Amino acid sequence: MKRYLLLALALLFAAIYLFPVYWMYATALKTSGSIFKYPPELWPSEPLVQVSRVFAEHDIGRYLWNSLLVASGITAITMLLGTGAAYALANARGTKANIALFLVIVLQVLPPSLMVTPLFVAFNHVGLLDYPRTAVVLATAAKTLAFYIVLCRATFTQVPRELKDAALVDGNSHLGAFFLIILPLARNGILITSVLVFLQSFGEYVYSRSFIATRELQTATVNLATYLSANSADWVGLMNYAGIYVAPILIVFILLQRQIVTGLTSGALK
Amino acid sequence: MNVDHPSMNQIEIEHLNKNYGSLQVLHDISLDIPIGAFVALVGPSGCGKSTLLRTIAGLETITSGTIKVAGEVVNDKAPRERDLAMVFQSYALYPHMTVEQNMSYSLRLRRRPKAEIDQRVGEAAKILGLEKLLKRRPKQLSGGQRQRVAMGRAIVRNPKVFLFDEPLSNLDAALRVQMRSEIRKLHKNLGATSVYVTHDQIEAMTMADLIVVLHDGRIEQIGKPLDLYRRPANRFVAGFIGSPAMNFVPAEITADGRAIALGAGALLKIPRAQEPGRKVLAGLRPEHLRLDGSGERLAATVDIVEGTGSMTFIEAKVGSELVNIAYAGTYETEAGAPLTLGIASEDIYLFDPETGRAL
Amino acid sequence: MLQSGFAKYLRDGKGFEGTLIVAAVLYLLVFAAFPLIYTVVMSFQEVDMFTLGTLVRPFAGLQNYTDLFHRPEFAPIVWNTVIFVTLSIAFQLTIGFALALFFLQDFPGSTYVRGLFLAGWILPALVVGAVWRWIFAGDFGVLNYALQSLGLIDGQIYWLSDPAYALYSVIIANIWLGIPFNMILLSVGLAGIPGDVYEAAEMDGANVFQRFLTITLPMMGPTLGAVIALGVIFTLQQFDLVAALTQGGPANASNVAQYWSWQMSFQTYEISGGATVATMMIALVIVVAVIYVRSVQREQSF
Ligand SMILES: Nc1ncnc2c1ncn2[C@@H]1O[C@H](COP(=O)(O)OP(=O)(O)O)[C@@H](O)[C@H]1O
Ligand SMILES: [Mg+2]
Repeated sequence: MKRYLLLALALLFAAIYLFPVYWMYATALKTSGSIFKYPPELWPSEPLVQVSRVFAEHDIGRYLWNSLLVASGITAITMLLGTGAAYALANARGTKANIALFLVIVLQVLPPSLMVTPLFVAFNHVGLLDYPRTAVVLATAAKTLAFYIVLCRATFTQVPRELKDAALVDGNSHLGAFFLIILPLARNGILITSVLVFLQSFGEYVYSRSFIATRELQTATVNLATYLSANSADWVGLMNYAGIYVAPILIVFILLQRQIVTGLTSGALK
Repeated sequence: MNVDHPSMNQIEIEHLNKNYGSLQVLHDISLDIPIGAFVALVGPSGCGKSTLLRTIAGLETITSGTIKVAGEVVNDKAPRERDLAMVFQSYALYPHMTVEQNMSYSLRLRRRPKAEIDQRVGEAAKILGLEKLLKRRPKQLSGGQRQRVAMGRAIVRNPKVFLFDEPLSNLDAALRVQMRSEIRKLHKNLGATSVYVTHDQIEAMTMADLIVVLHDGRIEQIGKPLDLYRRPANRFVAGFIGSPAMNFVPAEITADGRAIALGAGALLKIPRAQEPGRKVLAGLRPEHLRLDGSGERLAATVDIVEGTGSMTFIEAKVGSELVNIAYAGTYETEAGAPLTLGIASEDIYLFDPETGRAL
Repeated sequence: MLQSGFAKYLRDGKGFEGTLIVAAVLYLLVFAAFPLIYTVVMSFQEVDMFTLGTLVRPFAGLQNYTDLFHRPEFAPIVWNTVIFVTLSIAFQLTIGFALALFFLQDFPGSTYVRGLFLAGWILPALVVGAVWRWIFAGDFGVLNYALQSLGLIDGQIYWLSDPAYALYSVIIANIWLGIPFNMILLSVGLAGIPGDVYEAAEMDGANVFQRFLTITLPMMGPTLGAVIALGVIFTLQQFDLVAALTQGGPANASNVAQYWSWQMSFQTYEISGGATVATMMIALVIVVAVIYVRSVQREQSF
């Protein structure tokens, strides 16, 4: 009995905590008139689905597409460079490897809002700002790369070392052992970490805000922020926008919740 | 067997040194392994056995020296170019492959025809009794079955050399004894050169043609099992080979050089004359100490008696030194009882107390 | 078979893994270490819109730093940053710890419900900021309504536009964001305490509070240290929330250093000022990170 009481309490805590998410979707379903009722309606009395209107009105598709492009680029670079490095760092011992790992961890913690100034100046110098989305991808990947290496390294350390030795003796090169034996065994960890990187990049703001000047190339975060400061009273539109934006994130999260939690807990403190 | 002729040696190691950073783990190892031999590398844990085996396999680079396989220097060759198979302590089976896929992996990498692969896997499975398990994953196997798969993976390749790194240490005692003789039989049938690492001297003694005793990264002695038992080159080998371990008792050579004086006042004749007055360590194997007092005699007092029925182990005091006695059979005695021990003169080993070298 | 020495080195030698590390490290050097150094350099140069295109700029010595210290907003913003970090971490940690302890109990679905909290961690901070902005709204906001119904306040609080409240609004939203991460990490730490230690203490007659004080807290010491260090690092990265909620306003009342640095560089084009703030902040973050890494490595080494 006590166990179900605890469950009820847990659900209550979760409900309180997740109220902002609920409130976003509840507001999205209200009419522009009913949101200015006071006391506010906790449940939309006459729910109105306005998703497609808002979607078309604000050309959300374009900005989500930009976000998707940027996030895909970031994830691709991160996986490409990070997977091998994480594997090598999981194997390596000695001073050089320690320095590399230290460098990776320390570079992960640098706040983007502080790194963006020099990057802007440098990118401007080499003309990269003419390709602002690429610039965002390159800059953000440096941040996600470190995060990815740290988490994936934890995955690789769980693959027994002797498997690689066995593969080498069986006839693999180092390259072959990595692709045929190690990668398949670390696949789940790699995929989950990549999903996390993708979700993070999908909500990237600082670099997009700073590098992308052309409206058509804006990511959804930047566009939403612009909209937020320009039309700060259109809460229905804003909450619809926000709701559309985070829906894919929430869906992926609900589907992969268990794996995300294990992935984070296994590598986060290492 | 002419060990000096190069073509008779499958593996030749010359002046091999191996460092991990500033830590040297192998010191000037030179070793010839004849074709078809079963060689055991034995020594206490941490002495560098695995490291030596892994340098032969090509899994570790060497700091200096040369390694030849079939007369050819392989220092710079990758493991896959050396035609060696290895069985690991943890078995290292690929968890995402079935038994069949595990066993055929090396053949598939070498792009052998499908028919040949099936035939060789089938043969190996038959030898090892794995036919019914071919479709299982390693997770669905018992420890003993996994061990067999690891062996199977090695033998399908029909390699020049088998390397074993403590392959039986994860099995229970009964299975270990059984696998010991199976591996021996397998070696007899296949005839391939085998290098077998173990920390268990009994395993080495029962399985190997040739034993290499390692200690702190150095070779202490190389020899046939009984030679090591009968003529240990130094105190370390004498204490390591044989169970229960040899007793070491401080003694002094008498004035005529033909006997030793033990602290307890006993005088024991020794097989070969030594420098008179020299301090030595006398090595007495527990199983050589007789309870009927025949041969060279020394007086002792029983301290502890442990009987298993077929064997009786007695810990006794000779003067102030404790010695162990292993008696085949039942012997009834009790703590405090006096004993007259005897030992054959040729069973007395002498070692230099400083260098440990046999005298 | 013809195979160049280098190709062989890559496939079979130490070269394979070395190359993998070097590739990633090079990338990080170009896109993270270089900007880091460049920031420091710029903080000692005169940088403005006209010298943006060149690398060689007049050396300014410590001028940028003294200029910065003499700005009227310098002290308040530093103070805001201190409050922002301290309060955020204090509450994230306490709430996260309480939840972690709660979910340590054995009841059906505990892992799953605990996992739900991570939704807060995974959402883009900018969107979270937008939602909180609506919750904080003065006249029609749901927070004011909730507080009024509970009888905690009488009139409306203008959370975001009242200088007395703006900073605290950002802090509240930031606490919300940080709770899941703290909770998960602390849960991992708690799960690592062996159960028999508690049983032994119970046998010795320790009650719940005594057990918490004498076993849980001391054994969680290293984890708490790591979580606090990570908390400082993440809090000093928080930019999106400020951007979505207050943009540092009104009149810098809720401005924090990491946002101020960006504002100078990108809104008022005082790039040397932005770089100077960034340099000092980065130094701080690196010190914290080094402490964190070393403590974690020491933890792992036994
Ligand atoms: N990768 C390594 N780095 C540093 N030292 C090592 C490494 N591998 C083994 N050693 C050290 O080398 C010595 C020999 O190890 P090993 O060959 O595994 O011993 P054994 O197999 O005889 O137990 C040990 O002292 C061990 O600590
Ligand atoms: Mg070993």
